[in-house]
Amino acid sequence: MPVLSLQISPGGPVIDILVGVSRARQQALQQAAQPIPAPVMIRGLVDTGASCTCIDPSIVTALGISPSGTATLHTPSTGTQTHQANQYDVSLVLVHPQISYTIHAVPVVESHLAIQGIQGLIGRDVLSNCLFIYDGRSGIFTWAF
Amino acid sequence: MALEKELETYKRKLPELKEQEGKFALIQGDELVGVFGTYEDALQAGYKQFALNPFLVKKIQAVEQVQFITRFLDTCPS
Repeated sequence: MPVLSLQISPGGPVIDILVGVSRARQQALQQAAQPIPAPVMIRGLVDTGASCTCIDPSIVTALGISPSGTATLHTPSTGTQTHQANQYDVSLVLVHPQISYTIHAVPVVESHLAIQGIQGLIGRDVLSNCLFIYDGRSGIFTWAF
Repeated sequence: MALEKELETYKRKLPELKEQEGKFALIQGDELVGVFGTYEDALQAGYKQFALNPFLVKKIQAVEQVQFITRFLDTCPS
């Protein structure tokens, strides 16, 4: 199991992840003889308080993707109400110097994150594929997949 | 709102889909195209049949699971 230990940044456990179109969409683009957008490297905050993974709208634009799902969302900003958000199908590559781990299809929600210095929230849906250890005393987090 | 028609179709078809809870429905317009065991299988079928045209993949849930995010977010409305 590849293991990656990184320093906890002032913003929390932040990791670089490649976001691309899903494998299924990639095949559809090839069939349509359309270019496949290059995956985008994002800074993603590992957030155990997020049940789903989110990406900034700039990533959606860069990948030229359209919604393929909807999610009912509750955040502090929605108060006591829920609201419907678009979901997009993407692939995620968890980067490691020796070996990378690709998840070929992940539904992600679009939300404005760039203002917080990140482009993604890595939620528990992705963490369900990983081991994640937060060692606050050492200032290190460990990510294994 | 994107996929509004498809979401309405999902809600209309949900009573007959409940026995397949946990699987993934593929919907375009007012048509339930199929039900698949995994998210990626449903996506594959959607892109194969509809190419780059819009379609909805929705996990079948008798009660819609709310996604919670404890961080303050400015989410993009659908």
